Amino acid sequence: MSALRQDLRTIGALMRRGLNEILRVPGGALPGVLAPTIFMLGLSAAFGEAAQLPGFSADDFRTFIVPVGLLQGAGFTGAATGVNLARDIEHGWFDRLMLAPAKRPVLLAGVVGSACLRSLLPATFLLIVAFALGVSWPGVGALVLGALLIMGFAAAVACFATVLALRFRTQQAAPLMQVGSFIVIFFTTAYAPRELLSDWLRALADANPVTHVLEGMRQGYVGDVTWATTWPALLAVTALVTLFGTLAVRGMSRQGY
Amino acid sequence: MDGIDLEVAAGEVFGFLGPNGAGKTTTVRMLVTLLRPTGGHARVAGFDVAEQPAQVRRRIGVALQDAALDPLMTGSELIELQATLHGIAPRKVRARGAVLIERVGLSQAADRRVGTYSGGMRRRLDLAMALIHEPEVLFLDEPTTGLDPTSRLTLWDEVRRLRDEGTTVFLTTQYLEEADQLADRLGIIAAGRIVAGGTPAALKAEIGTPHLDLVLADCSDLGRAREVVKRFGDHRPATDGCHLSIGLAHGAADIAPILRALDDAGFAVAELELKQPTLDDVFLAKTGEHLEGAAEPEPQAAAGLV
Amino acid sequence: MRAASVALARRALRNSFRKPQFLAPLVLFPTLFLAVNVGGLERTTSLEGFPAVDGFLDFQLAAAITQSLLLGGVSAGIAAALDIEGGFFDRLVASPTPRLAIVLGRVLAASVIAVLQVTYFLVLGAIFGASIKGGAFGVLCVLAIGIVAGTGFGALGVMIALRARNASTVQGIFPLVFVVLFASSAFFPADLLSAPADVIAVYNPLSYIADGMRQPIAFGNELGPLLKGLAAAAGVAVVATGLSVLALRGRLRQA
Repeated sequence: MSALRQDLRTIGALMRRGLNEILRVPGGALPGVLAPTIFMLGLSAAFGEAAQLPGFSADDFRTFIVPVGLLQGAGFTGAATGVNLARDIEHGWFDRLMLAPAKRPVLLAGVVGSACLRSLLPATFLLIVAFALGVSWPGVGALVLGALLIMGFAAAVACFATVLALRFRTQQAAPLMQVGSFIVIFFTTAYAPRELLSDWLRALADANPVTHVLEGMRQGYVGDVTWATTWPALLAVTALVTLFGTLAVRGMSRQGY
Repeated sequence: MDGIDLEVAAGEVFGFLGPNGAGKTTTVRMLVTLLRPTGGHARVAGFDVAEQPAQVRRRIGVALQDAALDPLMTGSELIELQATLHGIAPRKVRARGAVLIERVGLSQAADRRVGTYSGGMRRRLDLAMALIHEPEVLFLDEPTTGLDPTSRLTLWDEVRRLRDEGTTVFLTTQYLEEADQLADRLGIIAAGRIVAGGTPAALKAEIGTPHLDLVLADCSDLGRAREVVKRFGDHRPATDGCHLSIGLAHGAADIAPILRALDDAGFAVAELELKQPTLDDVFLAKTGEHLEGAAEPEPQAAAGLV
Repeated sequence: MRAASVALARRALRNSFRKPQFLAPLVLFPTLFLAVNVGGLERTTSLEGFPAVDGFLDFQLAAAITQSLLLGGVSAGIAAALDIEGGFFDRLVASPTPRLAIVLGRVLAASVIAVLQVTYFLVLGAIFGASIKGGAFGVLCVLAIGIVAGTGFGALGVMIALRARNASTVQGIFPLVFVVLFASSAFFPADLLSAPADVIAVYNPLSYIADGMRQPIAFGNELGPLLKGLAAAAGVAVVATGLSVLALRGRLRQA
């Protein structure tokens, strides 16, 4: 069997294991699936009137923050992957992974790959609820792009959470993983268009690559899908996956040999 | 660790015996590429653990002290996952998994989630997973800790069978009897150092000869009794006034003459016991302390049922 | 009883401070949320119907405090559930410890942590330009409402732990904290909430607790909202403590 085929088999087997958390634990998936939708509904119930501000680019606040909820779901899923890895480290399962002859990037891809797939679950639920509540259909192109960006962002957060899991080797690092994800999502144009943000938040949002990811995902819900907004989003998510993926592989390589 | 030098021959069972905290698990983790040593080098199955870790991992099987198993997966699924991770061809995975599951006696439970397994079943599955890729060297880190006596014996039989099939087994244990029963050669470790090495018989012989413990029916003339048996061997410290303890220079052959001598002198023997030197005696001689867990452990009531 | 409650409260506090990773989310997450809300939505103070405030931070501070106190309740619940899972609870029950002290100890600890939480946000607000219009008396009112509310939320957390018996179930209610909070006037004026939050907010004690703490910060010491806030906090504390005692009795009956 070729090395590539073996790598793909390994990745597939680890992804299947990663899905057990939602397929075999009754209600295990619920908090992660529900939370982004709850946030979306709650934020739009609380701050809905913000859409009346002059210069607000969307007709209603809920439509504006749908992409925030989608990213949040991806972020929760990625963070949960790190928490699960930390649990595996605590319980010794991670040693078993490290004893496998597979290359470290392949093992990481298996762990992260399941996060990518799982991230589509909260996204699907959120969109069903959003459309039911009147958010208009963004178009197939926007949905496909959105799915790519969701999976990419989930992969990036999963790699980030993996770095933390390898560093701290305990599930007690979970809040750090979750807070990290929260910060990068909300310190963007999450709540309002760039022009309406306060100066300090605008500066942060401009520097935050996830702003590009969010704006890329907002296409179709607010405005049309254009290449000018799409390529920075794809570039940003690729850069994040590359950065945190490299750090994660390095972290894994430091475990033993 | 304070310097570990050892060599394990292919096809032998090497026992690494020592108390808790001696460094057994640390040594294993270094040899199986899970822990970087701060100095020195090691070769396992012909490959350097630091320079060629992937090649080492391909040739070793490992069952660590905690049988880390995913409770959400079934025994079969875990075996198949392990087989996939070790690159076993897809068409062979099921068949080989089934053979191993049968071998460790888990056929009935193979399709149940591991979360429902007893401690003994988990150990057996762990062993099966360590063997799925037919490793040249098998590392077993305290494989019978926490198991009931029946499960322990079953595992011992499996280790003997593996040795007979040519697998090299590196076994760590804190149980004297386990080391005595299974190991072709032993390394006794304490405080990060190997304090003694060799076959169990050689180690015990190095320490001393067997001794005979006697309890006399009438203790009133113990001094004369001691004089009677003086010529057969050295007196050992007795535990109380009715006991005699004599080192036997010629082993069990000395028992009958001693009893005849005592009988001729009018002494009746109420109890007698022939005691061989133990590995605990070896440990005591080398370190000045008894080995922890020298007594057989209490079987754990729930975990360890077969 | 008093000695036992204080001893158990001391233990709970000691354990909390030895694990800052449990305490940090109580203030860290609400702080981030506060920063994002203020930074993203400060211009909403110009919306028609928004009460006159010096800045959105003045309005949001009470929301952050309320959120933090709620998370404190979740944290108390998780700690209590860990005690149950780990066997410490059984150890207490098997000892001469008065049963009520098992609940009161945790609740007392929650009230002490509440002091720290409220103080933190008042100081943070002051640093970043919030004006405490009610002055020293206003600060005391915020502390009073906050401590009573924090006590109540702690008791709620303990009640959930006694019923659920495991930490992951208690942790699972974390999203619910936000549901309840969003359906109140904590984050935004009641008149500007969207349906159905505007209706739920009228009946939600968190609205009165948040409004009560907001009053001295953003508007000045007006007795009406202050008393309503204190009453709502006291109501939550009394009901929650009662429910947790009932839950304790139920648990002990099953033992």
